Amino acid sequence: MGDYDSITITNASVGYSKDEPLIQGISLTLKPGDIVAINGVSGIGKTTLLKTLAGLVRPINGDVTIFGNKKAKRGEVGYIPQRLGLIRNSTVHHNVILGAMAGHTKPWFPFSRDTKIHTKKAIEAMGIESKTRVQVGKLSGGQQRRVAIARTLAQEPKLILADEFLAELDEETLTKVMDVVLDYVKKKNAIMILVEHDLSRAEKMATRILTAENGKLVEN
Amino acid sequence: MDKNSELEKEGDAFSSLWFKFRWLFVLFLLVSLAIWVMNSAIEGQWDKLFESPRNVRTFFMESLWPPDWSVLEPRAYPVCERTGWLDFTCSTAWIGVMETIKIAFSATVFGMLISYPIALLAADNLNSNWISYPARFFLAACRSLPSILWAVLFVIMVGLGPMAGIMAMTIYTVGYLGKLQYETIEGVAKPQLDASKAMGHGWLERSFGVVLPEAANGLISQAIFMFEYNFRHGTVIGIVGAGGIGYYINLYLEFLQYDKVFAYVIVIFVVVLILDTISKLTRSLFNDEKYNKRHSWWSIFLPAAMVNHPEEK
Repeated sequence: MGDYDSITITNASVGYSKDEPLIQGISLTLKPGDIVAINGVSGIGKTTLLKTLAGLVRPINGDVTIFGNKKAKRGEVGYIPQRLGLIRNSTVHHNVILGAMAGHTKPWFPFSRDTKIHTKKAIEAMGIESKTRVQVGKLSGGQQRRVAIARTLAQEPKLILADEFLAELDEETLTKVMDVVLDYVKKKNAIMILVEHDLSRAEKMATRILTAENGKLVEN
Repeated sequence: MDKNSELEKEGDAFSSLWFKFRWLFVLFLLVSLAIWVMNSAIEGQWDKLFESPRNVRTFFMESLWPPDWSVLEPRAYPVCERTGWLDFTCSTAWIGVMETIKIAFSATVFGMLISYPIALLAADNLNSNWISYPARFFLAACRSLPSILWAVLFVIMVGLGPMAGIMAMTIYTVGYLGKLQYETIEGVAKPQLDASKAMGHGWLERSFGVVLPEAANGLISQAIFMFEYNFRHGTVIGIVGAGGIGYYINLYLEFLQYDKVFAYVIVIFVVVLILDTISKLTRSLFNDEKYNKRHSWWSIFLPAAMVNHPEEK
């Protein structure tokens, strides 16, 4: 058992095969308020690292401790996949409330008045309230991205894992969204790990920048 | 040009010819094999096949044609209380068709409700093999017997009539629809499930909050197809006494009144065409994103296309 506020990765290797780990020997401790940007060329293992932290892929070796546990508890991790993972047939409201349910209810009774309040707040924060009742599949790429971020904000996780979450946003929206997310991390003292190819953007947001190269994670 | 290069050239031409016509060759082999197998099954009695057009013509002209449309006239007993053009609703054809539709509808709804939870258990992207295999085994067992054999079993259990038909069709629907459903569920994209798993959703939330709405269009479309399928098969199960229009067909077959049977077959054909059109139109609603209405609390369980408000179009 580790520190209940932090994330500790000790000498871990990530990947899908023992023989061919993508990134090896990762040792990292992240404290509340940390925002870590990871960059590196495509296929180097950045997404796999995020998936490992999200509990979707097991580390090949080493230890990963999320807030004192081997696996994150319900609602602790908010994950924005590269392809967003939204339900295209459903409304914006439905997608966002799924995040609120994970963060504010119990699995055996995922209903609460709070979920609606958190959903409304997150949708407003992302400026998509006029689209609340619109099917996600009908939204533009940028709007869908904002729905995925709203889902995570409604969840209020302690750890946000975001895989290129600012792609497809215009400059004005990007600044607004970035401010909202940074404000959330600051207020809630959360931890954020993002995969970001744009170095200038990563510098603006992150407190630490890591580069994945040659199977290692190097701090810049 | 030396001899070797000439041989090489010939070889190349042969491989290119083989590559072009390989499917034709495979087809030829397959058809030859089928004819050989058929010959062994019918013990070489090909003359029966050549006599068949004459037999069909005789049967059609002497027994089937013209169809006896009295099946659309009101029955003598019980006395029809409807008058005018509505009196055809007292006919055996109408009563049979309506009973078959009722059997098909009830069986589809009950079958769909039973099969969805089992399909969720059978989907291997939601469960481990320890859970998914027994669920698949159960679904396979349900569809291992055709609905007509289930109907025979239920006629023995609950007696003649539509009850046996509904039970038989429900069991078959569970097996058939369940398979289609778990294949659809397994087709749900990974990022959606990943996001849900990372958030920490429980099995119920993932199944009903993520998988159901994501796969809903396919599931609804399959259920409508199943209703259509159940209607067609509902005409058959009546033959073993499980209710529906098949009961009347069987009755007239026994009395060799083929002209009446032919009239029933035409009625069934027309109803199937109508159902097919309705089914196609209804399915298009769930495959088209133009229906986008106001959400309600139950949008958690259903796709937006089903629960939205017209104002939001």
